Formats: sequence, C-alpha cells, structure tokens
Amino acid sequence: MATPATRDRLRRALLLAAPLLALLLALLAAEWLTARRMLPVVIPAPSAVWADAMKNPAVVTRHLTPTVLKAATGYAVAAAIALLAAAISSLVLVLRAPIYNLGVGMHSVPLIATTPLFALWLGTGPTTHVLVAALACYFPMLVGAMQGFAAVERNHRELFHMLSASPLKQLRYLVIPSALPYLFAGFKIAAPSAVLGTITAEWAGAELGLGALMLYALGAFDINKVWLAVLMACALSAAAYAFWAGAERLVIYWDSAAELRD
Amino acid sequence: MSLAIDVTNVSMRFESKGRAVQALDGAALTIPAGRFASIIGPSGCGKSTLLRLVADIMQPSAGSIAVGGAPPRQSRRDHAIGFIFQSPTLLPWRSVRENIELPLDIVGSASARAAKRSPAELIDLVGLKGFENALPAQLSGGMQQRVSIARALALEPEVLLLDEPFGALDEITRQRMNLELLRIWAESGTTALLVTHSISEAVFMSDTVYVMSPRPGRITAQLAIDLPRPRALAMMRSRGFFEAVNQVRDALFGRDTTDADGAQGATETY
Repeated sequence: MATPATRDRLRRALLLAAPLLALLLALLAAEWLTARRMLPVVIPAPSAVWADAMKNPAVVTRHLTPTVLKAATGYAVAAAIALLAAAISSLVLVLRAPIYNLGVGMHSVPLIATTPLFALWLGTGPTTHVLVAALACYFPMLVGAMQGFAAVERNHRELFHMLSASPLKQLRYLVIPSALPYLFAGFKIAAPSAVLGTITAEWAGAELGLGALMLYALGAFDINKVWLAVLMACALSAAAYAFWAGAERLVIYWDSAAELRD
Repeated sequence: MSLAIDVTNVSMRFESKGRAVQALDGAALTIPAGRFASIIGPSGCGKSTLLRLVADIMQPSAGSIAVGGAPPRQSRRDHAIGFIFQSPTLLPWRSVRENIELPLDIVGSASARAAKRSPAELIDLVGLKGFENALPAQLSGGMQQRVSIARALALEPEVLLLDEPFGALDEITRQRMNLELLRIWAESGTTALLVTHSISEAVFMSDTVYVMSPRPGRITAQLAIDLPRPRALAMMRSRGFFEAVNQVRDALFGRDTTDADGAQGATETY
C-alpha cells in the first residue's frame, strides 16, 4: 500500500500537473470542435496556429523578444523605485502617506487612456513601452515593499534591542528576512502587469512586439497570427508569474516548514 | 560570573490614549549576585514592566536601577543581560543552531565568538541534540523555549531575566522545564530574576520571592525560601514547601484566606 508520504507526493504531483492537463484537454476540445464547426465563434484549430508559427518561427522571436525585454526593463525600473520609495517611507514617517497616496493615484489612472499621451510626448519607441510597463506594475510592488519593511514583529525588535544590534545588523538579520514574504507577494502579482503594460503601450504604436504583431495581424485579418500573439501574451504573463512563484518557494523555505510538523 | 541587581524606588507611568497609567510606584528590590529570585503578582501588576526596566527595554519615570553597579543600558550593551521572553521569539527562517548563533552573529567579532560557549555545547545543555538543523516551526512549544534559553546563554550573560518563560506550556512540560532551568542556572552561575504568576513555581525556583501588589505595582513582601539546593520535585511535598507557599499566598491575598491548616498548599498547582 502507498505510505502517507508517497500519497502526499502523488497529490502534489497531481496538483502541479492539473493545469497542464486542463490546457491539453482544452486544446484537444478546441481542435475537435473546430474541425466539426460546432462553435458559435470562429476560432482557428490549435494545430493551424501551431503550423503557422512553425512556418515562420522568426516572426515569433522577432516580436516576442522585444516585448520580453521591455517588460523586464519596466519591471526592473519599477521594482527599484518601489523598493527605494518603501525604504524611504519606512525611515521618514511623514513621507509614508504621500508615497502611498501617490502610488494609489498612479494605479487609479487607466493606463489605456494615458498611454496615447505618452506616445505623443515620448514617441512610439521603447521608452514609452518601458515607462507604461513600469507604471502598470509599480503599485503592487510598492504595497508589498511597504508592508514588508513594516513587518518586523515587536518582540523580535525587542530581542534585537536586547542584543544591542547595530542598524545594519538589524537590517540584515531581521528587517530583510521579515520583509521577504511580502516582497515576493508584491513582485509575483506585479509580474503579469508588466506584460500587460508593455502590450498596451505597443498598441499605441510600435514597430515590433506582441502588441504590434496583434495590430498587424488584425489589420491583415490573419486570424492565425492574432491567436498566436494572444497565446504568446498569455504564456508570457503566466511565465512571469510562475518565475516569481517558483523563486518564492525556493527563498521562503520556512513558511512550508509548518507543514512538516504533523 | 554573576552580577547583583538593585532596584531603588522605581516608578513607571505610561501615557496611553491621553490617560496616564501608573504601572509601578516606588518598587524596590535587591538581588545578590548568583541568586535566583522571583517576582509574583496578579496579572497587570507591573511585574513584567519591572523586568523590562531592568533589561533596558524601557526606562523608568523615576528611581534608579543598577545591574552589577552599572546602569542597565551599559549592562545591556556589554551583553551582561540575557532576556527570555514569554514567547520563544525565534527567527522562523533560522534553524535551531542558527537561532542560537544569532547573538554571536550580531556581536560579530571572531574573538568574542571564540571566547563564548560553542553553539554545540549550548544545544547539548538544553537537550536539543539531533535537532540542530530543524526550523522553529518544526518544534514543539517546549523545544522552542529551550532554543530561546540556549540563545540567551550564548553570550554568557551575568544576569538572566525570565518573563513567564513557561506560561504557555502544559503543566507536565512546565515542571520538567523548570527543573532543567534550575540545572542550567546552577551550571551557568548567573543571577536569575523570574517573573511568574504561579505561587508554587516561584517557591520551587527561588531563593527569594518578591510579592507585588496590583496596580500601581509595588513590592509588598519579600520572602526567603529555605529549601536546600539542588531542588527536586519531591520537595514539593515537604512541609517547608507548603509553609513557603502559604506565606506567599498570605502575602498575596491576606491572612484570612488561609483559615484551614497548612496542608491547603497541597491543592496549589502550576
């Protein structure tokens, strides 16, 4: 008979495999239904999209790579500013509310409406795309970092006081580890937003990128290409999230330790 | 090594929501170097506050405190004070060994590290051999508190301050931990000051029991406990123990509550 440990491992493997299985089933269903024209809307058969992509793989990389690079750059810029702003807000308490409120304000503005303005001011080059990507993902990271830097427990603070720890040692041994779970929560949620922001900006004008590919394909009524771009955007968003979720599991090892107790 | 603790006329006022609270009013006590003393009193009488003042976690509104003749701030900075909190207060991302090594990491210098007791020795002392690499979340409450005791001893303090360290533990674990604490105290040769609200615990552990009145807290009685050391659980059945327990009880509640004979102490539990 299976021991509880192997059963547990099996359960976890199933949990991991479930989304992939669901995706596979959806693809098969789409293939089967389109072949019989049983859907109320027109969707291309997944095999047709795949064949189209394979026919000219350079198209995929030519448009995917710039989007990845711009999203990653915008994300990195936003992360750096969010960390800096959160650090300042935890050191200078009077700035806490303004920094937070500015973040709320930036987050409340619909980017789809303001992006054309950035395109007017800055052109339709990568600068605009990176800027919009950064704006789209700044707020969750700011919230995560602000909560994280305020997450030190009172009795831990007293412990470090008793040990007469220098501010630097406090930062290293207490503040940063205490903040990590909140930082990861923010970074994880923000990652797909960077992809969304990049594509939104590309819609307002771009030579290359998934957003540009979508517009070209729509204009040419190339349904297979539209779907290819849509699917790549989804995959990119999911991959960005999965990257941080995976990193979180590796770094925050102590949260899952509680599971082992029983 | 050990240092004496002197508390002279210490008062403490808190401002909370615009209302002043007098937590301590002229508290005074003296614990000679190397002795074990307890402070007992009802919840909210300011006994934990007094301990925190000795530890320099807070500063008194009036009066003075000396640890080995020096102000608490200096003693804290010299790492002369070990503090054991109500909750184990372990860092969840550090293993048992790493939690015990935390004070060494914070002091930093290699010479300090070499001079102090090795983490392996401390793990042995608190009976956690084999759990060096476990994370706090994988340990029971009693084991977590053992880690915090080992951590408090890592810098070989001269004074050990204990704020109801076993309050959250079940009675059986608590008795065992108390015995171990006495063994560790005897071996490390520190001065110990324990805050508790258990009469029998205070009597069993201490050379001297200080009784505190409800807010504003002040020391209302000081009772010497004349039980031999090392203490053993069997002593809890002795006449001397009953008498000491009743003395403490009288000091806490007044004489009229113990109109029965001395055997009433037998019903006292942790």
